[in-house]
Amino acid sequence: MMELIEANKDMLLFTAAAGVKVLAFLGAIMGFAGLLTLAERKVSALMQDRIGPNRASVLGFTLNGLFHPLADAIKMIFKEDFVPARAEKLLFTLAPMFALVPVLALFAVIPFGDYVMVFGYQLDLQIADVPLGIFFVLALSGLAIYGVFLAGWASKNNFALLGAMRGAAQMVSYEVVLGLTMVGLLMIYGSGSLQDMVRAQGKLLFDFIPAWGIVLQPFAFVLFLTAAIAENKRTPFDLVEGESEIIGYFMEYSSMRFAAFMFAEFVEIILVAMLASTLFFGGWQVPYLYDTGFIFPGGGALELDHYLVAALQVGSIIAKTIFFSWFLLVVRWTLPRFRFDQLMSLCWKGLLPLALLNILVTGAAMLLLGKI
Amino acid sequence: MISVKKVDNRTLNFLERIYIWEIARGIAVTSRHFFINLFNPKKIMTVQYPEEKLALPASALLRTRHRLKVRADGSPKCVACFMCQTACPAFCIKIESAEYPDNSVEKYPAVFDIDLSRCVMCGMCVEACPEDAISMDTGEIPGAAVTRSALLLTKEDLLRNLPGEPSVLGAANALANEYLRSRGEE
Repeated sequence: MMELIEANKDMLLFTAAAGVKVLAFLGAIMGFAGLLTLAERKVSALMQDRIGPNRASVLGFTLNGLFHPLADAIKMIFKEDFVPARAEKLLFTLAPMFALVPVLALFAVIPFGDYVMVFGYQLDLQIADVPLGIFFVLALSGLAIYGVFLAGWASKNNFALLGAMRGAAQMVSYEVVLGLTMVGLLMIYGSGSLQDMVRAQGKLLFDFIPAWGIVLQPFAFVLFLTAAIAENKRTPFDLVEGESEIIGYFMEYSSMRFAAFMFAEFVEIILVAMLASTLFFGGWQVPYLYDTGFIFPGGGALELDHYLVAALQVGSIIAKTIFFSWFLLVVRWTLPRFRFDQLMSLCWKGLLPLALLNILVTGAAMLLLGKI
Repeated sequence: MISVKKVDNRTLNFLERIYIWEIARGIAVTSRHFFINLFNPKKIMTVQYPEEKLALPASALLRTRHRLKVRADGSPKCVACFMCQTACPAFCIKIESAEYPDNSVEKYPAVFDIDLSRCVMCGMCVEACPEDAISMDTGEIPGAAVTRSALLLTKEDLLRNLPGEPSVLGAANALANEYLRSRGEE
C-alpha cells in the first residue's frame, strides 16, 4: 500500500491539489453568484434612488438585506416542482443542468493567480491550463444553447418554444462575434492558453504602459463586451426571456429548476466579468508587480514577500471581477431592450464586419511592425 | 378641430448613431445616482412605512379611519338610521338598531361594524350621515392585517374618541355607558 502511494505520489498530490482548487474556486463562485442576486436588486435600487430589499432578518438582524439570497433559496426549495403533463420529462429535467453545468465548467480554464509555493511545491492558481483554453471557452459557451433550446422544446409550450427559438438564434449569432473578437488577441499573444495570455499582459509597452489587452485591442474589447452581454441573455439583449412581457423559454419551470436557470445567469455574469478582465485587463496582473515585488518604470523598486505578491495578484482579479460584475449590472439597469430585428442587424451588419475589420487591422499592424 | 403638433424628428448625428457614446452618457447618469446614494444613504427619499411615518397633511378633506362621535353625555350621536349603510358602495357597514327604553324619539346602534377589508375609504358614509355622527378624521391609516377579523371595526372600536374631541365617557346616558362598561369588562 505504502509503495503504491509512494510510486504515485505526484499523481496523488496533483489530484489533491486540483480537488482543493476546484472546491475553493467553485465555492467562491457560487457564493459570489448568490451575493450577485442581492447585488442586482440593491444596485438597481440605488440607481433609481430607492433602498432595495432590507427586510429578511435572522434573529432580528437584517444586515441591510444580506439574508435575502438565503430567503430566496429557501423559498425556491419549498415551491412546487411542477412538470407539465405533456412535457418531455427527461429533457425537461436535463435542460437546467445543460444551462448550469457548461457555465460552471468554464471556470476551469480561467487563471485566478500566477502560482504559490506550498511546502516547496509550485501550485498553479488555475484549475486546468488547457493549451487552447480560448477554444474551450467558445465550445462550452456554445453548449449553453442546448440548455435554452431543450427547455423551450421539452416544455411542449408554444410560447416557450418561441422564446427558445429567439434564444438559439441570438446565441448562435453572437457566438460568431464572440469568437472573432478573440482572434485578434490570439494573434497578438500567440497562444490559446489563458494563463499564457495573462503572463504576456505583464509586459510593458514603451517601458511604462502595461501591455493589457485593452491597450492593444480597445476596439475588440467593446465588441467582446457587447457580444458577451448578448451571450449572457441580459438586457439590452434579454428578449430571450423578456420576463416583463414577451415570455421566455423557461416559462414552464418552477422551483429549483427555475432557480438553476436564474443561477446560471448570475454565474454567467461572473464568467463574463472574469473573461473580460482576463483577456483585456491583465487578469491577475497588477501593473509593475513582478515575482519579486514592484519595479516602477521610474527606477524605484519595492521588494515584497512571495505570499504577499500572490495575495495581491489574486486580489487584483477579484477586484476586477467585482468591478465588471457591477458594470454589467449597471448596463442591465440603464439600457432599454432591443427589438429582435435590431438585435439581429446589430450582430450581422454591425458587430460581425467590425470584428473582421479588427482582425484585418491587427494583422496589418503586426505585419508593419514586424511582429510576425 | 384636431390640432397637429409638428415634431422635429432631426436625424441622429454620427455620435448618436454609433450608440456607444450615448450608452456611456446613460451609464454616467445611472452610476452617478448609484454612487451618490451609496455614500449618502440617508438622502434616499424612501419612507420605511410601518416604522417611519410622515405627518399627514392637515386637510379637512383627508379621509382616514372612521370613528363614531359621542354626545356630551357620552351616548353615541348615531341614531341607527341606516343612511350610511345604504350609501356605502362597498357594503362594508353593518348596523343593528335598538331602542332606548326611556326615549321613544330615537334609536341607537346595538351593533355598528365597519369591515375595513372591504371599505374603499370613499367617505360616502360621512356625506350621508344626517346626524354628523360618523367622521373619518382619526388620522389613522388602516394597514394590512394577517386575519380578516383584525380588520373588522366594532362599535367600541369606532367609539374610541380620538383627536378633536376630548373623551366624555362616563356622563349621563346610562345605556351607552353600560354597554361600553360591559364590553370593557369582557
